[in-house]
Amino acid sequence: MRKPEPFKKEAITVAYMVDKVRSRMGVVLELLNGADPETRQVTDVNLHRPGIALAGYTALFTHQRVQILGNTECRFLMHMSEAERLEAFERILAFSLPCIVLTDGNALAEPLNASAKRMGVPVYTTPMPTTQFMYQLRDFLEDQFALQLTLHGSLVDVYGIGLLLSGPSGIGKSEVALDLVERGHRLVADDVVIATKKTEEVLMGSGTEMAQHFMEVRGLGIVDVRAMFGVRAIRFQKRIEVLVRMHQWDADEEYTRIGMVEETESVLDVELPVVKLPIIPGKNVTVICEVIAMNHLLRHYGYDPAEVFKERLAAQLQSGQGPARPRRGIEWFEHDFE
Amino acid sequence: MLTREVTVRNRAGVHTRPASMIVREASRFASEFFIRKDGYEINGKSIIGVMTLAAEQGATLDLLFDGPDEADAADAMEALFERGFGEPL
Repeated sequence: MRKPEPFKKEAITVAYMVDKVRSRMGVVLELLNGADPETRQVTDVNLHRPGIALAGYTALFTHQRVQILGNTECRFLMHMSEAERLEAFERILAFSLPCIVLTDGNALAEPLNASAKRMGVPVYTTPMPTTQFMYQLRDFLEDQFALQLTLHGSLVDVYGIGLLLSGPSGIGKSEVALDLVERGHRLVADDVVIATKKTEEVLMGSGTEMAQHFMEVRGLGIVDVRAMFGVRAIRFQKRIEVLVRMHQWDADEEYTRIGMVEETESVLDVELPVVKLPIIPGKNVTVICEVIAMNHLLRHYGYDPAEVFKERLAAQLQSGQGPARPRRGIEWFEHDFE
Repeated sequence: MLTREVTVRNRAGVHTRPASMIVREASRFASEFFIRKDGYEINGKSIIGVMTLAAEQGATLDLLFDGPDEADAADAMEALFERGFGEPL
């Protein structure tokens, strides 16, 4: 199947960033100079401490990044004379900056705040230590500017494992998702799943703002899973861990019989295990999805059933004293005739 | 693989009724069908997908077709948008 193009946010306003960092991460940020944060945009996921630029070298100044002034930069400014200080500060203000954040409770001496305001650059202060603040803000920006991809399928949390059910239209993805919800598992999104590359190895999935937990069941129309099954039946986000590809049974295709060779597929350069699931009449796909999840859990905790079986067979073969025909699993029935 | 650019012409935009018309029309063809708007791409055979586009009047959409009958599917879909889904323009 053709894969859609990945996309990502190009810019967020400083106002949006500050609002989210305040409300979601509990960071205290106070605007010092009254410049309008709505008009300034952040376009870069990285942060910058402009010590060298303040000292006079601006050749490689990454001015488009959020500028962080910690203790070092603030002390450096304070050790100068008042005229030098303003000159150094206006040197970096000559560039287009998104905003300036003073960490560790630092503040700017007065002509500086006004100068930044004149240039339209908001100046914030936070009591949080520099490295801690930079870590928090970078985490937020990484999330905002992460690569995203829309996937056609259903994402369900089954025993804590995020299964992405995919396959051609009309194969019954939504029906399986509904069946899983009925059995106590939790729906993240149906039809449209937005995958976000959180780190090199982690792919997070969620629904779209509009269609969250709505589902189309052919023959019925649109149903709202949250309204019907309640809050226990849904989740807002889940890491995508296993891909389940549903498709019509094809006699020519080779299906996994033992499960020794793990197939993987790459989504946004994250390798995920794939289970190809042929659909045939009388097959309970829901139960198989539960087994896929449990098997993934077992493997995650170090138990690989196929590997264990293989070792048993190898031990038997090597001992050279295998029985002529397979032995019964129990030696004798111990007067237990149940 | 075929790409066509279309504009939403009817006043009300792609609401529930046009969305279901798009999906019904797309399902008549074997080809895969995707709609892209501002980098956001969805499967055109899914009603929820089409509705999440929230395509208003004047919005331009890229229609992508892939399969044995892609040319026919593209023509049919283009005609549907051209007619404005039979609604006031």
